[in-house]
Parts: sequence; structure tokens; C-alpha cells
Amino acid sequence: MKIKKAIVDTTLRDGEQSPYIALRPEDKLKIASLLDRLKVYEIEAGTPCIGRLERDSIAKIIENRKHSLISVWSRMRKEDVRESIACSPDIIHIGAPVSYVQIYHKLKKNKSWVQKSILECVEVAKKGGVKVTVGFEDASRADIGFMINMAMMLEKAGVTTIRLADTVGVLTPNRTHEIVKELHEHTRVPIEIHVHNDLGMAAANSMEGAKAGAEYIDCTLFGIGERSGNCNFYQYIKASEAIFEYAMTKQQINEVEKEVKHLLLH
Amino acid sequence: MIKIIDTTLTTIDNHLPSKDDLHNFCRLLDKVGVDAIEMSIPIYQRMEYLPEELRVKFYLRIEVQAEKLKYGGFYRYILHHADCEIGMISKIQINDIREIISLRTYKNLEEVCIVGLDDLLCYNYEQEMIEIKKALPKSQILFCPENTYGCASALAVQWVVSGGNQVMTSFAGHGNKAATEEVLLALRLAVRHKPNKELQDLKDLTHLYSKITGEVIAKKKPIIGEDIFKVEAGIHADGIVKNPVNYEPYDPKIVGGKTEIIIGKHSGKKAILLKCTEYQIRIPEEYMVDQILLKIQEVCTMERRSLSKEEFIQLVKEVCGYEN
Repeated sequence: MKIKKAIVDTTLRDGEQSPYIALRPEDKLKIASLLDRLKVYEIEAGTPCIGRLERDSIAKIIENRKHSLISVWSRMRKEDVRESIACSPDIIHIGAPVSYVQIYHKLKKNKSWVQKSILECVEVAKKGGVKVTVGFEDASRADIGFMINMAMMLEKAGVTTIRLADTVGVLTPNRTHEIVKELHEHTRVPIEIHVHNDLGMAAANSMEGAKAGAEYIDCTLFGIGERSGNCNFYQYIKASEAIFEYAMTKQQINEVEKEVKHLLLH
Repeated sequence: MIKIIDTTLTTIDNHLPSKDDLHNFCRLLDKVGVDAIEMSIPIYQRMEYLPEELRVKFYLRIEVQAEKLKYGGFYRYILHHADCEIGMISKIQINDIREIISLRTYKNLEEVCIVGLDDLLCYNYEQEMIEIKKALPKSQILFCPENTYGCASALAVQWVVSGGNQVMTSFAGHGNKAATEEVLLALRLAVRHKPNKELQDLKDLTHLYSKITGEVIAKKKPIIGEDIFKVEAGIHADGIVKNPVNYEPYDPKIVGGKTEIIIGKHSGKKAILLKCTEYQIRIPEEYMVDQILLKIQEVCTMERRSLSKEEFIQLVKEVCGYEN
């Protein structure tokens, strides 16, 4: 029997961040309804701190969904998390930088600051009565020991999933497998894999992540996203349906893509 | 030693490229660090002769062994079933991992080219790669994964990572292969294989490839797509301005590219200030920047797109009340 894997669709968040794509609230609602019909496990609907239009879109998506869980993306800032809670999503996803490049060079902070900040944000979200998932940003360039410590700490704090983000798209299949497997061996928190296609390996890396134990796989319609995009939903299902079971077929994804092509491809 | 053998010139017989374009294509492949170029007889006939001044080696795809005598001067000849003769490579199609065991039949061959195995990643590919090497213990193996499942570049790279040393690719993955440019970059990042310091010639190669084949490269195509270094999202634009390494996998200059900040629905304050400086517009007060951002969100959402330079300048002037 094939092992079941769940799809987290981030077309409306990471996908829409791609230059030249700007969706109206009614566009977002249409795409979300189609994804919901596909029974995608989770739809990442947007980033509340962007503004009122974005929050209104998210509210409508939540109101209309029938099957999927709706999540929102939040920076690791308490005020952003509060803004996310106000949208009443099923899940708040908080992005936490974990590579030294991001922590020391971009943020000019240190590991203790990251640990303290993420715990504070998780606490705020939990008090808001929402499920919390945490994204390890730039996990592909991070110290695995630090990520294991973070995962163990977040598991105790009640985080339900750890998302490993290959933010700059430099993973290869063997490296993806190693990282997911190592984290999987040290914590019981379910793992989600989120990769980018900079080296043309997003489908392959996602599949290796799933083989190594990741339960959730992040995809976007047409593979839209930053730079060379995210993991292409259709391509990923086509590549891996022989070994894993999904709630949808590649034909169904293809039908959805036909309906929204004019909104997502410029 | 790692060898990348580009097979693009075996897949374009129907496109009628000119002699000069073909010579130029070979020269550019040589410059970006490809080690060998495989071509078909019709392409060789169009080229009229092999370029001599290049570092790259030339392989010819032939149908029967006798053609080797007719078309001399190639480093290797590839055909479906070759004898044990030196300089000949047998090309074997393997469509299913259960066929790997049958490779033992070819164990006496000096060099074997294995084509196919599109779905190898669905299995324990590392073990299967070991089985391939075990089945052909004395042979040099050229691994040519096909791309039906979008995993060929990954498989080619994994072949090298697992100790193999020869992979066959094609530019932009033409003809359902691993993409030469993806394998070059991935090997550079994963195993520090740097046959060339710079890969700027990928840009000219992309134009020439499009000219020869008529194929339009997707704007988001890894390594060679024209939009891959454009960034709009506030968090990414800010990070890249601080230090490109924050959000870019490699320096765009390596492949002849350049980071470009695009103004759109997801832009942040830093991008606005940056663009005002770039376009030599008076820097607005902070509270005005918030107003500009709101207006940009509104316009981009309604128009379902990002802003052009002229539109951005006009919008800033309108919001801030600057005179034209």
C-alpha cells in the first residue's frame, strides 16, 4: 500500500510574491476554491501584514472553504502574529531564519535571539487558540545541530509542524534526504518540505524529502514563485504518484491550472 | 574526472541550423565548461568540419559501425550496439530498474552509454546506481537520464555525487534530457566542480539555442530564464539589497544575469526608497512612503500586474504632489 502524503499549496502566498503577479481578492478566492475542491490539505492563503486587501481576501477564503485547512504566513514578529490571529486562520505559519547567513549577516542577531523570538511568537499564537507551524528559513544552508535543537524546543512549545525551507534553492536530492532524515530521527514533529527550483531539482528534492519522512510537501500551481519558482504541483504529483498516495490526481491539477492560467502566467 | 557530454546537436536535425551557428554553438558550449559534444551525422554534414581550436571533444552518433570509417576524426562514436572496439560506445536504453541486471550482458564493453531510467528517483536510486556499476565493473559508464518526470538534472548530479564521472545532458534539457546548464551549476555548488570560473556565455548560448531551435526559453527557467533574478517581495528585496547572498543561490553575474528590483503589490518600503534613488526622484518623507505603498498595492491589484518604471515615477509624483 502506498504511503499517504499531504500537499500544502502556497500559490497564494509564495507563488504570488513572484514579480508580475498580483491577484485581486476575487482571483484569490477563485484559486482557493479550486484548490479546496482538489482537497489540498492546507492552503497558504497569504500574509496578513501586507494590508487590508490581503486580510479581506484571507477572510473570504476561510469563509468559503469546505475541505482544506487555511493557513497564513507571518514574520517572526509578535505584532505580525497578532495581525495573523485576527484573520482567524486554522494555522499560523511563522518563518524563522535558521542559517548563519540569515541570522548573523541579514538580521545582525544571534542564535539565542532567534530562539527567544520564535518562542515568544509561538506563545502569542498559541494564546490566540491557533495551530502553529514554524518554517526553518534557509534550512539548506543551516547547521543541522542548531535545527535539531530548535525543533526539539518547538516540539515542547506545541508547534505542530516544522517546515524545512530551501529558501535559495540549492539542495540536491541526497542533501535533502540527509536533512529531513536527521531531523526526523531526533524529533517527533511532523516535517514539511518547501523547496525552490533554482537548479531545476524542486520535484526531485521534494520527492526525496517525502521518501525521507516529510509528511507535507509544499507546491504551487505552475511552479510559480521567487526566482525559478517553487515545486510545481503537477510535476511533483506526476513524478511521485507511483510511490505515494495523494488526495488528487495530476489530471485534476491540470484542469485547475487551465482555469487559472490567465491569472498566474504573464 | 567529471565529464559533461552535451547531446543537443543530436536532437535538432529538423531545424536546419547554419554552419556558422553550429560552430558558434560548439564554441560556446566549450566556453561554459562542457567536456564533450555529441552530434548526429546530418549536423556534422552541415558543420562541414570539426572546429580544431577547442578544448572540447567530439562524439558522433552513428547507426552502423561502418559509418565510423566514413566519418573519421571523432573522439568517440556512439551507436546502439557496438563491438568491443576502442573508441566505440554502446548506447543502451533502460526503462525500468528491473532491466538493470541485464546490463551484465555488456560487461566486456569498454564504454557504455545508459539512457532512460526516468523514474529512478522513485526507488532507492543510490543502491540502483551501485547495481549499475556492479553490472559493468570494467566499463566506463556514460549516464544519460531522461526527463519524463522532471528529475533528469537531479539524477545526473546524483550520478556524479555517488562516484560516477560521465553524464550526458542537453542545453535547456532539449529532447527530454537533463539540462546542461542546471547540471553545470548544481555540480559547481554541490561538489565544487568548476571547469570554468565564469558562465556568462550561457546568455549567448541561450540566444543561439533559441535562434537555432525556435524554442522560447521560459522566463522562469532555472539558470537561463530572463526573469529569475527579478525580485518584488519586500522581505526578499530588502535582504538582497543588504547582501545578495541572503536570498540568491549564486551571484547572478556568474551566469551573465543581474538582480533587478520590481515594484509591485508585494514591495516594501526599502524598495520604494531604492527606486526613488535609482530614478532620481526626491526621497519622500516616511509617512509618504506608506501612502505610496498603499497606492501601489491598490493599482497593482486592480491591474493584476507590477508597475513599469514610468508608472512608478508618475505614481510617486501624484502621491507626493511633486511637480512633473
